[in-house]
Amino acid sequence: MEPGEPRSGGFLTAGAIRRSPFLVLMLSILPALSSFAGVRHFTFLYEAPTSAPGSFESEDWVTWQRTTDPARSSEIAFRHEIEIGVTDKFQVSIYLADWFYTSDQDHSGFKYSDSALEFIYNLTNPVIDPIGLSIYQEYKGGDRVFEWESKVIAQKNFGPLVLAYNATLEAVWEGKNLGEREGEFQQAIGVSYEISPRFSVGAELLHEFVLPKWSDEEEIRNLFIGPNVSYRRANWFVTVTALAQATDSADEPDLQVRTIFGIGL
Amino acid sequence: MKLSIFAALACILVSCQSINYAPAVETSQRTGAQKGQHIDWATLREGRILFVHRCIECHTLPVVWHYTTDDWPKLVDSMSARASLKPTERDAILAYIIAARAQM
Repeated sequence: MEPGEPRSGGFLTAGAIRRSPFLVLMLSILPALSSFAGVRHFTFLYEAPTSAPGSFESEDWVTWQRTTDPARSSEIAFRHEIEIGVTDKFQVSIYLADWFYTSDQDHSGFKYSDSALEFIYNLTNPVIDPIGLSIYQEYKGGDRVFEWESKVIAQKNFGPLVLAYNATLEAVWEGKNLGEREGEFQQAIGVSYEISPRFSVGAELLHEFVLPKWSDEEEIRNLFIGPNVSYRRANWFVTVTALAQATDSADEPDLQVRTIFGIGL
Repeated sequence: MKLSIFAALACILVSCQSINYAPAVETSQRTGAQKGQHIDWATLREGRILFVHRCIECHTLPVVWHYTTDDWPKLVDSMSARASLKPTERDAILAYIIAARAQM
């Protein structure tokens, strides 16, 4: 999903949002107040452990992005995830509806983006094994867009310190007849330190290799880095990450902040 | 400067890794046998696996000797529901923690 890119299927006007932005934000997190969730130390990385079998978890994501090159624009993206633990090592997630609000010089408004299905299989444990590993697969489909994403998740716990690494390969087909193709390879590193049983702080780094039409002629490289903080209490948690762009890429956000709210049933 | 940061990070990792947050079942079993306790190896093994898989869904593993033998049942009970633990799983985790703590 590129910020500011026009999509079809809008159903809310900018006027309604300007009149009640707080109401919209609350509505976006209300679905989170009903289900169980395992805690996330990161928002731009996945961790190796999977959900307990038979568990149902809900997480709501809100990602704000600001772009200034070549033109000023902002976007708020929303995801609503239901995570289901199938076995001790396998979980499935359903993203019911990904949607976003975008605002630039030409237009603004809400639009539906896609829905998605995600599978994670855990191979090893980050505590007792030399390294914790999981494999991830996601399929995302929407209006004239289809995405396929594979990921290797690595994690190692050193007591209260969590180190995570994700390697992601993403393929996107979009446009009329899904004729436009793009690929992306991404590496992400995260570190989180548990200051107390309820509070963790850390940092995340994303390194992206964007491949328009699966070609690296343009050598598009993006680097984002920033801090994160996670708080958990009783059966809920909230994790926030703020990333700033360290490269000078156009059409990429200069700043993005992601918040994930999770709650248990 | 870079060397100082690297050295500080290395010290943190070494200090964290020098503590075994989930000692092997075999070690706990031997300790229990020396103290004349009855040991169910299968339960201790299951308890260790559950301890390192379920508990880290929400938080990193605590050092088992940070809490007393009397504290642990209450701690595990307070989090059993969130961790989706069945009663037998809760008992296995507690048995493992008590056995692991006994060797410290």
